[in-house]
Amino acid sequence: MKTLRQKFFENPAVKDCPIYDMHGHMGPFYGAHFPIPDIDSMVRRMRRAGVKLLAFCHHASLFGGGDGNRGNIDAVRKYPKDLKAYCGVNPNYPEEIRKMLGSYDKYRDVFIGFKMLADYHGIAITDAKFAPVWEFADANGLLVLIHTWGNSPCNGQDHVRAIAEKYHNVKINIGHSCHGEWDKAVGLVNTFPNLYLDLCAVLDDRGVLEKFVKEAGADKILFGTDFPWFDYHWCTGAVIGADITDKDRRKIFYGNAEKLIKIVGA
Amino acid sequence: MKFFDVNTFIGMPTCRMYGALKDAEGLLASMKVSGISEAVVWHISQQDGFPLDGNLLLSEEIRGKKCLCGCWTILPPQTREVVSKGFFKRMKKDGIFFLRAFPAKHNYLLNAAVFGDFFEELSERKVPLMLSLERGVSWDNIYSLMSEFPKLTCIVCDIGVWGQDRRLWPLLEKYRNLMVETSLLSLGEFMLEATVEEFGAERIVFGTGFPSHAHQAAMLQLVHAEISEKDKQKIASRNIERVIGRISL
Repeated sequence: MKTLRQKFFENPAVKDCPIYDMHGHMGPFYGAHFPIPDIDSMVRRMRRAGVKLLAFCHHASLFGGGDGNRGNIDAVRKYPKDLKAYCGVNPNYPEEIRKMLGSYDKYRDVFIGFKMLADYHGIAITDAKFAPVWEFADANGLLVLIHTWGNSPCNGQDHVRAIAEKYHNVKINIGHSCHGEWDKAVGLVNTFPNLYLDLCAVLDDRGVLEKFVKEAGADKILFGTDFPWFDYHWCTGAVIGADITDKDRRKIFYGNAEKLIKIVGA
Repeated sequence: MKFFDVNTFIGMPTCRMYGALKDAEGLLASMKVSGISEAVVWHISQQDGFPLDGNLLLSEEIRGKKCLCGCWTILPPQTREVVSKGFFKRMKKDGIFFLRAFPAKHNYLLNAAVFGDFFEELSERKVPLMLSLERGVSWDNIYSLMSEFPKLTCIVCDIGVWGQDRRLWPLLEKYRNLMVETSLLSLGEFMLEATVEEFGAERIVFGTGFPSHAHQAAMLQLVHAEISEKDKQKIASRNIERVIGRISL
């Protein structure tokens, strides 16, 4: 029987090992050139790499004074089988958050939950301005993807812990796994059952995935790429090259995400 | 496909790094598992320790290992700590075909005032200078260096995890002897393909950044890149073999 390593090197997509990318974006970005950030190109590239679902948040819903979540809504409604969106929230505009929460039910087909980017918005995830979102997500058992970074003043490991101590029903994808503070990230998911480690921007540090699997278990890890920032084959290659079992790889590529998506009802 | 990895190192960094490799034997074992035939290698002591000691450690490690090609660290010629009379002969004797510079860590300026005659000679001899964006070389360093030594063979390494086309592409456009390795170029979505389309596959050499990054990351990206098979082979090994073939020591 062929190993996943053999299968992934033989074909751009492996049929019996679909990929769920639980941390992505969409559209062009101010600080970097993306050769093909448009929806159609992204979905073509996803399908070519065997990505069954991308959970993303459009850059325009996080940065600048653009069209809010319109990019998220249009993309998911164009490709409903390939895409689910995190509703982007900017705590600098609480009135917009209130409006968005009021209309959330109209977009249940679009959204899987929320995306918080506190480092960039300059307000901590524990701030009262985020509270309505946490309460809504917790009451509805939604998934929240938070950008995190080790020792960040807005979304570091201590902020994640404070949120996890308060909200037990929301599912939290710890974006970038408190980057650099790997022990703390492992401690968080081992303490709180509703938290997951994210591999986005982790896979370029060889050896960290092995640590996560060994110390937190493969069941608590979600695959993520920041797509269209990072290339699917580079990121899948890093998982393929890690010293873990194929059983663990399958959990990371699709098993855990499929279970989670059922739990959050997306 | 034959893979020749231009960006690998051995040795234990001063600051803890998961997956670091102590010696060349460990590197060879990993290369064998991954299917990488040859590699350009340097020793972390060339950066973290005294560069001359690191260079000598590397020479010892790769001695007799034909699939490993060495890369030494340079310092300003004026202090004669590393670059001194007979330098190129010693490179040849020890199987060293590449050089690296760590100007920030080693506390010097990478410019013509410091390296004028030496870099003119490197340009003549076509010895590649490898400059790592993740190891203390800035884009400003590279732009000013190339403006002073436009014929220098320069390989830009570890270009960073954010898309760097806006910084890299003007250099590729202006300086024909400047190349880029793939360890983090390949990480960017469609960046390898777009760079090949703009500048041709000849300007790109395969690198993994191992052991910082898994071999299979840059390998799998290249294997499935949306470029021709001929271009893939050039990037995987032929371009760097061509570069080595032109070196005069």
